[in-house]
Amino acid sequence: MEEKLTKEEVLHVADLARISLTEEEIEKYRVELKKLLNDVEKINDVKGYDDDILIACWEENTTLRKDEPGEMLNPKEVIGNAPRHSGNYIEVPVVISDGEGA
Amino acid sequence: MKYLNKDIKEINKLLKSKKIKPIDLVEEAFENIEKNKDLNAYITLNKEEAIKQAKSLEDKEVDNLLFGLPIAVKDNIVTKDLRTTCASHILDNFIPIYNATVVEKIKAKNMIIIGKTNMDEFAMGSSSRTSYFGAPKNPWNPKKISGGSSGGSATTIAARDVLFALGSDTGGSIRQPASYTGIVGMKPTYGRISRFGLVAFASSLDQIGPMTKNVYENALLLNALVGKDEKDLTSVRREEEDFTRFIGKDIKGMKIAVPNYFMSDIVSSEIIDKVKEIIKLLEKKGATVDYVDVKYLENAVTLYQIIAMGEASSNLARFDGIRYGHSYENPKNIEDVYLKTRAEGFGEEVKRRIMVGSYLLSGENAKVYYNKALSIRDDMRKEFKNVFKKYDLMIGPTTTTTAYNLTDPMDDPRKSFMDDVLVIPVNMAGLPGLNLPIGFDKNNMPIGMQVIGDSFEEAKIYHLASFLEKELNLELNPFGGEEDE
Amino acid sequence: MSNYIPTIGVEVHVELKTKTKIFSNSINGYGEMANSLTNVIDLAYPGTLPTLNEEVINLGIKAATILNCKIRKVMHFDRKNYFYPDISKNYQITQNATPIGYDGYVEITKENGEKKKIYIEEMHIEEDTCKSAHRGTKTLLDFNRAGVPLIEIVTKPCISSGEETKLYLEKLRELLSYGDISDCKIEEGSMRADVNVSIRKNESDPLGTKAEIKNIGSISNAKLGVEKEIERQTKLYENGETFLPQTRRFDDKLNDTVLMRVKETGNDYRYFPEPDIPFVVLTDEMIENARKTIPMLPDERRKKYLELGVSEINTKKLIQNRSLSDYFNTLLEEKTNHQVASNLLLGDISAYLNKNEKDITETTLTKERMLELIELLENNTLTSKNLKEIINEILESTETIKEIMKKNGIENITDDTEIRNIIQKIIKENPESVNDYKNGHDRAIKFLMGQVMKETKGKANPKMAMDILTEELK
Repeated sequence: MEEKLTKEEVLHVADLARISLTEEEIEKYRVELKKLLNDVEKINDVKGYDDDILIACWEENTTLRKDEPGEMLNPKEVIGNAPRHSGNYIEVPVVISDGEGA
Repeated sequence: MKYLNKDIKEINKLLKSKKIKPIDLVEEAFENIEKNKDLNAYITLNKEEAIKQAKSLEDKEVDNLLFGLPIAVKDNIVTKDLRTTCASHILDNFIPIYNATVVEKIKAKNMIIIGKTNMDEFAMGSSSRTSYFGAPKNPWNPKKISGGSSGGSATTIAARDVLFALGSDTGGSIRQPASYTGIVGMKPTYGRISRFGLVAFASSLDQIGPMTKNVYENALLLNALVGKDEKDLTSVRREEEDFTRFIGKDIKGMKIAVPNYFMSDIVSSEIIDKVKEIIKLLEKKGATVDYVDVKYLENAVTLYQIIAMGEASSNLARFDGIRYGHSYENPKNIEDVYLKTRAEGFGEEVKRRIMVGSYLLSGENAKVYYNKALSIRDDMRKEFKNVFKKYDLMIGPTTTTTAYNLTDPMDDPRKSFMDDVLVIPVNMAGLPGLNLPIGFDKNNMPIGMQVIGDSFEEAKIYHLASFLEKELNLELNPFGGEEDE
Repeated sequence: MSNYIPTIGVEVHVELKTKTKIFSNSINGYGEMANSLTNVIDLAYPGTLPTLNEEVINLGIKAATILNCKIRKVMHFDRKNYFYPDISKNYQITQNATPIGYDGYVEITKENGEKKKIYIEEMHIEEDTCKSAHRGTKTLLDFNRAGVPLIEIVTKPCISSGEETKLYLEKLRELLSYGDISDCKIEEGSMRADVNVSIRKNESDPLGTKAEIKNIGSISNAKLGVEKEIERQTKLYENGETFLPQTRRFDDKLNDTVLMRVKETGNDYRYFPEPDIPFVVLTDEMIENARKTIPMLPDERRKKYLELGVSEINTKKLIQNRSLSDYFNTLLEEKTNHQVASNLLLGDISAYLNKNEKDITETTLTKERMLELIELLENNTLTSKNLKEIINEILESTETIKEIMKKNGIENITDDTEIRNIIQKIIKENPESVNDYKNGHDRAIKFLMGQVMKETKGKANPKMAMDILTEELK
């Protein structure tokens, strides 16, 4: 039998990625995601490496920017590409929560 | 009269002497593109602007070899006021309000952007078939793929529409389509070229690079693209150099390594045989070639899956239907905006990858998968670096097969990764790599060889590549050049 | 109600005083037109990348130094991933694995004089979110604040009362505003505090269930919030009830905390190292240069002021007013009467500044003129009554104080002979009063002094006149 994720597992990752799925898609991804996850599981077979990590192949350290103002957009440009806006603001359906992060 | 098939120095002379004008080249390019439009190389053409720009160049001094030449730009590189879609429905009406740094650089050379080339959606794929706008077709055989993700750029170069194209390479997306279409494609050292304005797929792997029909033109375009950009902290400050400087030089004494893994049974015998011929030729011409073991090469795809999908899940989070791009019509609430915009806007491959990427970073998985991948990646880069202590360059096949059929099944999500098994390690280690056409298979489809160098050794890569190009002297125009007048 | 032991931890975000944002060069400003302080980076346009503001790193070094933290010399940034309209990239660039400062402390002095160290777990650099305003069925987004640099300071759970919470926040505000790190205006949101509260019966018990109080609008509310929360939790436990980890907010109208939501099973922020920002490496030189720019901090000021003879109360008041204290610091090395100087600054000068909504640096009071003023007051050439008449002029014109006095007809007779002559005349004219004085009626000398001042139209130097009068009456 073909290996599959559970429906709940698919819905969980779909929620993390903020993608709504149809029933049909859920079924499809149960198989497809499982294949990929089986693939990445192979990382646990790799042996012999040390603990140092490589985040990216940075060839230089960060060069800090001087604290000097540069060009900015005007509010009309800011809302220019926004699907919903009102006045100078970008608009979304009301958010009832406290925000996270900062 | 045709000019774009002439030697670049010849074109430059004609421009300088005012025998031709940039507009002649632009018109010729658009004629070529029109003639080859079934190849579906472009998503957006920049006709009006290109003509305007060409005319504005008429009174300017022809001050460099790239002056007035048309160039195609992959559609994940943002162009101000010119639609940039990443071949995705989510950006299919997106008009950027700034230029990528590379776009500023080619404009500074007075090159003319002819259009935006087709690609895999957000550069995720290996055949350009994940494009919202349909796949480009291989000029050598329109039933075949051009590869991906820079399939459109490869197609337009192979079809000889224009001399120059920009691609981007996260896990082989320049070299692999270059191999499938018989052109020269370079992924430079990570940090060589600014990524500012390249829509990020996997930030630690992405790099823009030149795609051309020959080695010299490739090096010439690279000259124009490199340099530290204060807008990209990962770009690197280096002394200015001319990447064409070793072209035409002898290769006697050059030390070349061939990783055993690259010549193993994962590669078709036809391709192995062709690479072996090259090895013989190199030895005959005074180079030493050794087979070497490079540890972790066989793990590169796994590392790539984890790192690229992880980073992608974060990089693509900004496409949420709020500030730009497609947005779901009648959202009831904010979650609707996210869930349905992204459901409608992204294609299957992208959805699959960002879901898996989110999973790989979630909770304890970040430790189990992601951090482990970064650890092994570090060791893999050290392995490469060790080889380059003893060898000038590394060679091997670019792909395991030649271009396959557009109609081949797409239902195995692992296929697109396996197509890139030989090109991915180079991105993992941040090294420069180039595809050079070295021959054809029995179906007359191009076979490519990869030349890999140590960090910042692009000039050395061009050295070897140009030498072989001259020795092999292949006819690389799929239309056989019979249309020459 | 039996006693429980509270355990409190505080997380404070402060916005940094920089000209530009942390990851882009658009202006870090407050109160401007919506979406007028942004660029493509702040809006997370496709293809954009962060850069890193040097001043943020400098302020980070300074803050870490002030908070007695160890400084990490090689650091990177991390992405904190979550979907929310106020964070344009849908991830926040922060420092999760390598915070710039760690293992620090702040010392508070409790009412009874007892000192306590509040330990800092870590402090890290990150970006602020955009501002959202809710209007009916819509939320409006203003990205001016998106990318404003923040430092988040996290204490160990070592605070044990509302009072200590308040003292810690006051101290933190004092240090960070004096260090020129942040203007720490809670009402403008440039300082924000979240407080975690739990209680337990005995020291040996594991920590109790945590409630996080957000949305605290003032330091006194932080104290009140903690106290109310301890009360609420105590009642629950006393009634044998339990509760789930939760987020509460302080409600200004109810003067109490109210439930916002029960915490889900841990937010899944999917942290991973930010690949777009290579290692930030701090050299000893960078650290030293940043440290050199730390202004004199309140504790040192306090010590110096008291040593110079400034009263306890004036010292406290001066330090509460940063700009007056900075002005006062220019006088530290001068031979002058520092108590008189502090009286002046906190008295007539403050009254003038408040009335005219000015800062002392906006007045004409140079150090030289200030020293002249102090001297004139000290030797009574200028009386405090007369000072009030000419204080506006002193602070608005550039003439010497003496010139201003002259123009206003305030000229004390300081000539010994002249005063003596007048006094002798008064004594002659008032024999009864002289008699009264000699018979022990002290009040009579006040009458005689009054006559002297009347005769001189108040211009006699009062101290000098009194000395001479006493002498003549002997």
